[in-house]
Amino acid sequence: MERRHSRPPLPTLRPDASPDPLRRALLVGFGATYVLSLVPFAWAQAVPDAAMAPFMALSAVLVGRPSLDPAQAKRLYDALAANDPGFPAAAKQLLDTVEQRKIDPMQLQQTLNDENSPLKDLPRQVVTAWFLGIVGSGKNARCVAFETALNAQVVADILKPPTYAYGAYGSWTRNPAEGPDHG
Amino acid sequence: MADILSADYIVVGSGIIGSLVARKLALAGASVIILEAGPRVTRGELVARFRNSPRRSDWMSPYPPADWAPHPIYQPADNGYLIQAGPYPYPAEYIRQVGGTTWHWAAQAWRNLPNDFRIKSLYGVGVDWPIGYEDLEPFYQEAEEIMGVSGAPNTGSPRAKPFPMEPVAEPYAMRRLRERLASDFPVVANTTARNSRPYDGRPACVGNNSCQPICPVDAQYHGGLSADAAEAAGVQLIANANVYKLEHDESGKVTAALYYDPDKSSHRITGKTFVVAANGIESPRLLLLSTSDKFPKGLANNFDMVGRHLMDHPSTSLTFDADEDVWLGRGPQSPSSINTLRDGPFRSEHAPYRLDFTNISRVDGSTKSLIAAGVFGPELEKRLRHSAAREMNVKNVLEVLPNPDHRITLSSEKDAMGIPKPETHYSIEDYTRRGAERSQQDFRRIAELMGGTNLRFSKDGDFANNQHICGTLSMGSDPKISVCDEWGRTHDHENLYLAGTGVLPTSATCNSTENALAVALRAVTHMLAQQGATSAPPPRDADERVPS
Amino acid sequence: MRRPRRRASAPAWLALAISSLIGAAAPGPSYAADADTIARGKYLAIASDCTACHTLPGSKPMAGGLPIETPIGAIIATNITPSKTAGIGDYTLEQFSAALRKGIRRDGQMLYPAMPYTAYAKLSDEDVAALYAYFMNSVEPVDQKPVETKLPLPFNIRLSMAAWNLLFLDGKPFTPDASQSAEWNRGAYLVRGPAHCGACHTPRNLLMAEQASKELAGGDVGFWNAPNVTSDANSGIGGWSIDELVAYMRDGHAAAKAQAGGPMAEAVENSLRFLTDPDLRAIAIYLKSTPAIHDPADTRPAYMWGGPFDDLASIRGVPLPRDRDSWSGAQIYDAHCATCHQDKGQGSFDGKLPSLLHNTALGTTNTNNVVAVILQGLHRQPDVLMPAFADALSDKQVATLGAYLIENFGNPAAKVTVDQVKTIRAGAVATNSNLVLIAQAATVAVPLIVIALLLIWISRRRGRRQDASGS
Repeated sequence: MERRHSRPPLPTLRPDASPDPLRRALLVGFGATYVLSLVPFAWAQAVPDAAMAPFMALSAVLVGRPSLDPAQAKRLYDALAANDPGFPAAAKQLLDTVEQRKIDPMQLQQTLNDENSPLKDLPRQVVTAWFLGIVGSGKNARCVAFETALNAQVVADILKPPTYAYGAYGSWTRNPAEGPDHG
Repeated sequence: MADILSADYIVVGSGIIGSLVARKLALAGASVIILEAGPRVTRGELVARFRNSPRRSDWMSPYPPADWAPHPIYQPADNGYLIQAGPYPYPAEYIRQVGGTTWHWAAQAWRNLPNDFRIKSLYGVGVDWPIGYEDLEPFYQEAEEIMGVSGAPNTGSPRAKPFPMEPVAEPYAMRRLRERLASDFPVVANTTARNSRPYDGRPACVGNNSCQPICPVDAQYHGGLSADAAEAAGVQLIANANVYKLEHDESGKVTAALYYDPDKSSHRITGKTFVVAANGIESPRLLLLSTSDKFPKGLANNFDMVGRHLMDHPSTSLTFDADEDVWLGRGPQSPSSINTLRDGPFRSEHAPYRLDFTNISRVDGSTKSLIAAGVFGPELEKRLRHSAAREMNVKNVLEVLPNPDHRITLSSEKDAMGIPKPETHYSIEDYTRRGAERSQQDFRRIAELMGGTNLRFSKDGDFANNQHICGTLSMGSDPKISVCDEWGRTHDHENLYLAGTGVLPTSATCNSTENALAVALRAVTHMLAQQGATSAPPPRDADERVPS
Repeated sequence: MRRPRRRASAPAWLALAISSLIGAAAPGPSYAADADTIARGKYLAIASDCTACHTLPGSKPMAGGLPIETPIGAIIATNITPSKTAGIGDYTLEQFSAALRKGIRRDGQMLYPAMPYTAYAKLSDEDVAALYAYFMNSVEPVDQKPVETKLPLPFNIRLSMAAWNLLFLDGKPFTPDASQSAEWNRGAYLVRGPAHCGACHTPRNLLMAEQASKELAGGDVGFWNAPNVTSDANSGIGGWSIDELVAYMRDGHAAAKAQAGGPMAEAVENSLRFLTDPDLRAIAIYLKSTPAIHDPADTRPAYMWGGPFDDLASIRGVPLPRDRDSWSGAQIYDAHCATCHQDKGQGSFDGKLPSLLHNTALGTTNTNNVVAVILQGLHRQPDVLMPAFADALSDKQVATLGAYLIENFGNPAAKVTVDQVKTIRAGAVATNSNLVLIAQAATVAVPLIVIALLLIWISRRRGRRQDASGS
């Protein structure tokens, strides 16, 4: 019997979080039609704090996921803002830039580099926070997520993050396409 | 400085070699003290440090150096402890804490090949060892039974008795390599100190894929276990004891070890016999520091050989995307390799090598590359999964010939304890470069057989350091070109022994730990014979080593 | 209750059968038997788990020497190999049967009910004969006698067991219930007889006899807790399917239910995993039919507690306190447990590194087993090894960890205390000196009371006679 196994479901809204129409309006009020076209369900995203809305929308665009865990977002946002107090404003600015100029995420870094934009490090910072769980650099670098970092989530159907056991001895001999041995 | 602590044997260094030497001596009834520069650390702390690290690919990040016993680190910046005098850098990583550097190895535990002991006679390069494979064979077995080693049979190192257990189960990715390369290369299971069944009260591997920097379940043997075993055998282990000098009497016999505690108070320990097992850099450093009127160049250094013939196993590599999903990252980090290129007439022309296949998860590395390349949006996840599923890597492990100009010396700079830092002088010679060049053919063929695309060779002229610090205390029969004899006994001081990878006079093509351990266990029999004792009865039958 | 005065004697037809096998009724014990009988005897010995008590780990099978800790002291299992000097080599079938089913040794001394003869009393004559054939023919004789059991007064008077047997030994072999299926009857026979499940799983009264009215409602083995395995949906195994029960007994674990640790791990390892599938099914069928014994405190089954709980994200980047006793539950879990049990307690893909969610170990209110497994680990042949954490964790850390596990993955009403951890870490149950003192006092007091009563009765009689005769 061939076992097919699917990717884990995308993180969902917390059951008790109802989308605040005000917050929804904030995003739509940006006139963020381009951004919304990239991530169609972002308008339904619960936002813990209105100031985080641009960060959430920007994150959704950069990591390519319409729905992001709000608790994780808060942790990352707080860490990014603590690392650089100018971050929230810069995030909004970048979001506006992307929206106004309809910049495709894959072209974004090149565009910012070409223009030597003061925002050119921002996409990397946001994506590093979400995908690697790391904020800051050099001596100031801090881990804020490991198992919940997106790079672990994205492969969680096949791999465990390093240091986590894969399974009983020998469980790694199977072809991963066949799915795990459920005993 | 009021301590008058003393023992039959004083061992400097509590790494895998120092601890197992101490244990064997203690089991024979001797009193033994180990002096370890660094602190005690527990496995749980190391696991937590890794998971909380902002630099997971930096395997030293769970092992920050202690101020009173610094070791080199290079990220986020070089801490400047190991001075690089060049021309080629030797950025060795080692750990000064109880248990030493094997807390974060990949447990490769190969034996040398018989010809590795005679490359001068056979191929006209390097030096011959003062002993042969057959002298070491029973001690290889002893080392393997202590550590719990297994591997593919018939990889060129003859055995009198079987491994204590079966080879570790082969990850799917490695099986595909083995199957698809079969026409050209035999891919075999590595010889590793990793449990394929419960052994010695420790579980079998459960595929944490984090061997470096830490095995969270102790399925992999490491120096922390050796230190525990030494203490269980009655050895007194003093941590946070940075030995900075060995003292001697008028006849040249070593009489005492002086060490600093973290507050830089000095302590003095006396003993009958001294064993320096503080890794291939710190050991020569200690000897060079132990100057006196009688020995202005330091101990064991009459012919200025201490610290010379520094060697390692440099690597170059090829990364490529296979044409099928293999998913590296499932199971142990170093499961398989090709071992047919370690020996042959070509050794008179160019360096031999092993070809190692990695099974380290590609996820973190690919994520960083993709972010650096500005890949954002849904494309990021897509490409990340693709890389995680398909990326593979092969590297060579090259032999380096002993060259007296490659050495460890004392720097004019001093560390936080006011002790001169170690300094490296090193280069990669043509013999090794020619070997690397030759291996490129093999890299290409391997990629071809795996349907490889997106071939990424390591940068030309870049040789990665593999932390196999050998040669600096070379054993040999000629005192003019060696530091100690086949028993690790220094030519100049009858009660000063050396143990560790520094003692190996050539690097050969396999990781140094098993070889150094076998040499050290053999040396202990001699040490005990000198004191009129006999060594402990042979270890229990491997079959009995099951958990109670 | 009538005295079990009858001596154990095999029915005549059996004696005839045996003697026909060996050719003559020899004066001494005769062992010969055919291969099938011996094989059946071996299977029954495994089902009865003789080895659990009678084999010292690492030593020769059935040679005895294992001390069995009880609240009144250690009872040393005897050598039951067919050695003539140190074992049961001189036992006849009748004597073997008497020991097994009545607790009477060949020399007439009584056995302590640490030997579960009250359960083995249910064994049929054929099964006893098969066991005898196995022991006498297949077990290697070992000519070394283990240390004798020495219990404190008055428990060293074995004859006192006669009174105990009077009260608590039901000497009848198992009689099938005609209204039940053959499978049920087989299960009942196995559970009450050879597998003697009640020896651990049935609560005992003050005199340490199993309470028949509470069959399988749960008991304690030292500090290990053997849970309620009656058919109750919340307190017992009512919510388990037959397949799950069989899987548990055969493999030592059932997904999303439980895994066997401590003494149960040994029972699976030595005995249950070797039983045939039909026998395991029969046991499961029987268990699911037992009268449900319910503890009102159990508001849901023990395997229904817990939800995935992700605390580890909140400790990322937080440095560990220097003092290990100050580590939080999440930090301890991260450093020591998450590796195998995974970050949300969900266990590995293949279920072999168990989930802590929906796991009876964390769902019960008796938390001794959790503490015991953390300290001692869990070893179960062939390949299960959870390491011991006694050296890695302090008492405070185990208590913090236990509380964290139960709060997040288990039954929030359960508690783990530092004192509990200390007691379990100290190891085997200490001799219950209170019980011994009470018994010793009773030994002295009871006769005195009897004498006093007698004197009172005598003096009253005299008084009445005097009244009657005098005046």
